[in-house]
Amino acid sequence: MYAYDTFDQTIVRERTSAFRDQVQRRLKGELTEEQFRPLRLMNGLYLQLHAYMLRIAVPYGTLSVKQLRKLAEIARKYDRGYGHFTTRQNIQFNWIKLEQMPDILAELAEVEMHGIQTSGNCIRNVTADHFAGVAPDELDDPRVVSEIIRQWSTFHPEFSFLPRKFKFAVTGAENDRAAVQWHDIGIQLVKGDGGEVGYRIYVGGGMGRTPVIASLIRPFLPKDQLLSYLEAIMRTYNRYGRRDNIYKARIKILVRDLGPEEFTRQVEEEWAEIRKTDVNLPAEEEERIRRFFSPPTYETISAPVADYEKAKSENAAFARWSETNVHPHKIPGYAAVTLSLKPIGGIPGDATAEQMEGVADLAEQFSFGEVRVTHIQNLILADVKQADLFTLWQKLSDIGFATANIGLVSDIIACPGLDYCSLANARSIPISQRISERFEDLDRQYDVGPLQIKISGCINACGHHHAGHIGILGVDRNGQELYQVTLGGAGDETASVGKLIGPGFTADEVIDVVENVVNTYLGLRAPKETFLATYRRVGVEPFKENVYAGR
Amino acid sequence: MAKTKEQLPKILTANDLLTGATVYYTSAGTWSSHAADALVANSPEAIDSLTKAAADAFAANLVIDQAIVDIDAGGEIRPARLREMIRATGPTVRLDLNKSISPIK
Repeated sequence: MYAYDTFDQTIVRERTSAFRDQVQRRLKGELTEEQFRPLRLMNGLYLQLHAYMLRIAVPYGTLSVKQLRKLAEIARKYDRGYGHFTTRQNIQFNWIKLEQMPDILAELAEVEMHGIQTSGNCIRNVTADHFAGVAPDELDDPRVVSEIIRQWSTFHPEFSFLPRKFKFAVTGAENDRAAVQWHDIGIQLVKGDGGEVGYRIYVGGGMGRTPVIASLIRPFLPKDQLLSYLEAIMRTYNRYGRRDNIYKARIKILVRDLGPEEFTRQVEEEWAEIRKTDVNLPAEEEERIRRFFSPPTYETISAPVADYEKAKSENAAFARWSETNVHPHKIPGYAAVTLSLKPIGGIPGDATAEQMEGVADLAEQFSFGEVRVTHIQNLILADVKQADLFTLWQKLSDIGFATANIGLVSDIIACPGLDYCSLANARSIPISQRISERFEDLDRQYDVGPLQIKISGCINACGHHHAGHIGILGVDRNGQELYQVTLGGAGDETASVGKLIGPGFTADEVIDVVENVVNTYLGLRAPKETFLATYRRVGVEPFKENVYAGR
Repeated sequence: MAKTKEQLPKILTANDLLTGATVYYTSAGTWSSHAADALVANSPEAIDSLTKAAADAFAANLVIDQAIVDIDAGGEIRPARLREMIRATGPTVRLDLNKSISPIK
């Protein structure tokens, strides 16, 4: 993985030291809250319902064991013993004290981490396919371009005060596991006519109160032109994006208002100017960054691996877990493994300090010392020998991360909601817990098949409800929590916006509604047809009819 | 004469500047972590005095995000809105970490 150079280290240390001074001045009363608030937000420190919340960037979701152990230490020493992995591949701590923030940032800087650009109207943490570098269907490693964008966008003076926040996602495969079409800029690595690798550029996707699937504005961008083209997009947005209305300030609104064609024309016009400058990255610099993502030293293993096949044939629970939580790897004899942070009745994305340390130990033992965070709020060990899977499964069971439910009905995304978040209107976590308990039987989940439920506690959509096959949005109606249900959203390469089925439901009702929707699907599906495929074939009406029958 | 909505009693809450913890303004002019300790305002004058206390505490850099919120009428202090109830007691999904509205005697 990428290792800081002197420049990276210097800017993070300088920022940490500056923030220590700013906190001291705030505590002495030399800075007002109005002056201090933007400074703390620039370091990822929010104020939530019960305490300050610190959001720490995990660039494209990649963590070393050293970093994960440090996060565990911070959880134990400065928080209440746990952290929350987010849909932006970051981690949040919920119980932070302002007076301890300088020490926390100093400790994070020791392991090349920080909270810079995890808040504010700037370019946020770049997210990427969590199977980067190991997926058999990958054309090229998305971490390389993600790291280039991270470096280019960090403290970029021109893009520090954008009209609104700005999110990038990158996929190196046709199967989009990074939801690129839901981002302000989505990048897909593709092949050009001559077989050379370049970029497909999507712009103007986003969730929130106006869900929009991004527009494809450039089917192929030559690799060496990336930064000048991105700069042209950012400049067009920075100049014309709306600053008068926070609800209309994201780039998706500008693209929609201008129309994708006119927006593209303006970008290309700007690009024609910028291309003449030397903003693009020299090839040798890209190569230097690429070397950080060189594959580890794999053993030569002939597949199938007899021990693994034997363990599956002898242990049904392990076989089931292998089917749901173990993923193909480009190297024979290896696999990528998803650690489910969605135990039945648990809090999606939460991990205790002990669990983090347990995962770090397992990553060290089985996966070259690296861990990935997924935007679905799980963790991944990307490079596990198939021969080690049975032992790994047993050890994961010990720490509570071996639920065989990846991609199934209880692998739910849920934002912190009204239990923690000052923006929320309704609770998300209890709804996810109750749905997962309702579908506790893993055989039943397995029979239902791939189904993504995503829950947000307010219209800001941190829980990605618009992209859920079943989406749930919590709202406040005269002091009561109500939940609206959408169907047919998707975050993959067939991205679509979920459709609202009708009036909302109480917390008790919405659990029954989800079950009703699932049962309706089971009654309608063709053999081997997934929930999303059935929904797309039959539309919303049969689901609506069943849900509202007798209401 | 137009009918006015019944006014609920009110308390002053905020977050402590240093710790970020949820706190309540008391009759002693101090800040407590328990809602039950809050000074209850039942009249426009009392609400005005909470408003002034909020501004003073903010100016003195003791608290941030100060707000005057409704509580249920009569009896014990209980925030009227769910959001405030969760602020007063803690996340409903981590009862092990929660505090009570009243100090534990």
